[in-house]
Amino acid sequence: MSADGRFVLGVQVERPRRRWVWLVLPGLVAVLVLSGGCLGLLRAGRPLVATRFELTPVLSGSFGSGIGVEKRAARAEAELRRLAPRGAYIVIDTYRNRLHLLEDGKVLRSAICSTGTGRVLRDPRNGREWVFDTPMGERIIENKRKDPPWAKPDWAFIEEGYLPPPPGSPERWDNVSLGDYGLYMGDGYIIHGTLFKSLLGRRVTHGCVRLGDEDLEFVYKNAPLGTRVYLY
Amino acid sequence: MLRLVLACICTSVLTGVVGAGNEPPNPLHVASRELELSVAKKAEIYLLLSPERRALEVRARGITLDCVSLGGIELLSQQRMIGRSLPSAPSVPARWVVKEGPGDADREVIAPEVLRPMPKEGEEEEEPVPNPAPAGAGPTPTPTPIPEPPVSYRVTLENGWDIWITDRLPQQGFLHLIGAAIQDGWRRWRGQGTDLAPAVTLVMTAEDARRLHHLFRTGTTIIVTAGEH
Repeated sequence: MSADGRFVLGVQVERPRRRWVWLVLPGLVAVLVLSGGCLGLLRAGRPLVATRFELTPVLSGSFGSGIGVEKRAARAEAELRRLAPRGAYIVIDTYRNRLHLLEDGKVLRSAICSTGTGRVLRDPRNGREWVFDTPMGERIIENKRKDPPWAKPDWAFIEEGYLPPPPGSPERWDNVSLGDYGLYMGDGYIIHGTLFKSLLGRRVTHGCVRLGDEDLEFVYKNAPLGTRVYLY
Repeated sequence: MLRLVLACICTSVLTGVVGAGNEPPNPLHVASRELELSVAKKAEIYLLLSPERRALEVRARGITLDCVSLGGIELLSQQRMIGRSLPSAPSVPARWVVKEGPGDADREVIAPEVLRPMPKEGEEEEEPVPNPAPAGAGPTPTPTPIPEPPVSYRVTLENGWDIWITDRLPQQGFLHLIGAAIQDGWRRWRGQGTDLAPAVTLVMTAEDARRLHHLFRTGTTIIVTAGEH
């Protein structure tokens, strides 16, 4: 103990205070750097912010003059009515694999069908490709046929790993695969039957639409030539 | 689905009937119908977005083929936490065209390596001998099933906007935004940040998002209506 008791006491008190400072200081610096970094990231970051979807109504200049709004409305409605299908029409949902036959907006029949896989087949000889998509849009029943024969195209052989026979070859004719009826929509796309009933409801075709026997017969009998088909 | 379509048709018809009364038709509604008419003249499928009815319809020739009811429509844009500059609202009625859509996605390619001659009638075909499987390869895999479309995807439009189809919006609470901002800032600091176009976000069920996926292809038209349609 020194002559000055306070000095000793002071030393005893000061030592832990210094340790505390040396411990806290780097911590403080770390916190400052971290929060500064976070602030920097926060400033640079641009999160996705949702705001109310508000519309800005804009009318073209032609609405201020010329024909009255009533006349324009009537004309637009009349033209849209004229474009809409009359009588029977077919709607095909390629995602759900459903075919609906409607007449004047009323559903006559809903059926499970099969549509295109969307896959691509490549000919190893020349790189030619076929996309097995069921087409989207409006088509028309151009032709109908009972017991439709199938003139097998090249892809039907290539898919099986065979060389396609020459055009007109008897090996190209298949009288059973398309079922009892065929409704032709143009570009080789047909609504037809199938030997593989268990695959109905799945995307397994090369672009055609397959139906079960009873549904196919109903559609064949109730969809006349010229029936519009909407595929989506 | 049919019930939903009928409900959509009924709403459309009812609004038409209401509009056909003595009151003069809403010019915005008429402009929307005229816009639809210009698209319906083509034999194509188009989509009709009605923000007021919160519905997205699949249409052709002016008729509704299918209808998806929306859980919400929001405008989603990347914003700084301090100093936001919100995008201006899109004008309506409008015709949006898909510049790049998920419906154009890569497809599975089937490519036989060699083609062999057809076996002649009565001739038994020799089964091609497959290459021996490497040791421990396990059983022969079954053909790849067609993959399910995603429930959340972006569609790029020609007008510089995006449409974002999703079954849920990102969390918008303050703490979530702070977290997202730091995450995005970190990505940008590492040079991995991406600038996204402002998106009209359509919230719908996962199933609806999946079934619309293939319709968003290059060139698909979306009509955004104003007034009851």
